[in-house]
Amino acid sequence: MTDPRSQTAANPSADAVIPRWATGVAAGLWAAGCRDIVYVPDNPLSHILAALLRHHTEVRTLLAMREEEALGIAAGLYLGGARPAVLMQSSGVGNTLNAIGSLLIPYQVPVMLVVSMRGDPGEWNSAQVPMGRAVAPVLDAFGVQHLTVERDEEAEGKVLALASLAFGTRLPAACLLPRRLTVPVRGGVA
Amino acid sequence: MTRFEAIGLVRRWLTDEPVVVSLGHPAYDLFAAGDRDLNFYTWGSMGLTSSIALGLALARPDRMVVALDGDGSLLMNLGSLATIGDCAPPNLVVFVLDNGLYGTTGGQPTPTSRGADLEAAAKSMGIARTATVRNEGSLQEALAAIRKTSGPWVVVVKVEESAPIAKPPLDCVLIKQRFMVALGQP
Repeated sequence: MTDPRSQTAANPSADAVIPRWATGVAAGLWAAGCRDIVYVPDNPLSHILAALLRHHTEVRTLLAMREEEALGIAAGLYLGGARPAVLMQSSGVGNTLNAIGSLLIPYQVPVMLVVSMRGDPGEWNSAQVPMGRAVAPVLDAFGVQHLTVERDEEAEGKVLALASLAFGTRLPAACLLPRRLTVPVRGGVA
Repeated sequence: MTRFEAIGLVRRWLTDEPVVVSLGHPAYDLFAAGDRDLNFYTWGSMGLTSSIALGLALARPDRMVVALDGDGSLLMNLGSLATIGDCAPPNLVVFVLDNGLYGTTGGQPTPTSRGADLEAAAKSMGIARTATVRNEGSLQEALAAIRKTSGPWVVVVKVEESAPIAKPPLDCVLIKQRFMVALGQP
């Protein structure tokens, strides 16, 4: 059988500037052994995909239609021996909850979650605020451990630490990327 | 053809293929038709059967991966057909056991009982091989075709509801662990 074609998420020009936090997240995922990245698009996440494409070309990225579906795909990747990560916006966390509660945790299927936040300081869209504010409490309610990256230089270490926890203890873990990190200057339209 | 009869035919056709099966009656029927370590019984995450199978097919291109989904379950995650069509794994086979109702939750009718066509949905999402079968003979023909032609396949199996007679183990970690060991994963 032939390998299915690998999807490419972004095609940044060679001189496009990739933010340091995004390079760090990509490096952390790589160091943790993540070679399969499932994602539902978001603007800040496109920087991570660009960093993967530029620096870690062996990584396979896969577009999912919805975040719950992304966790199902990731679970299947894990069953097949991969160490999957899923990238999503905070609004999508609300779409994942039954998969976390009835698949990942009871079956002890680890997935590294990377969440770009909306609804936190810098937000302009009121429709993003309730779900954004609920992300951390909801993850806490499931016992999913999470860290927030505050500075560029923390990104790689926090992603690697969380992924080590996830794949070592066979539970999902989440790295949250706040707007003050991903949209630091304008704080405007994401 | 009842769902149990259809799942029994698929079960006897299997050799070393891992199977991901939707929670509730499809999982009960697969267990009753013949338990094996390579059966991944879901107990929750309704709708994600085809997605789990897709991920497994991508991770293990050396194995044919089988999903046993239901019509209600697939309708809960119809975007999965777009993703499967988009990445087109040749080693994925999705059977949709279409009884036109939510059999596990009390028998409420699904849209397929009123004309919704899941094979057409799969085809329109670019899935290469599709079929709808309505009796054991045509299911046997589809099973033979799957052996000869790479996929991805979506086979809608029109079935009648049947009462389950057994339930798989409830220990989710046991189900996962023996499944992964049987696949040669650490």
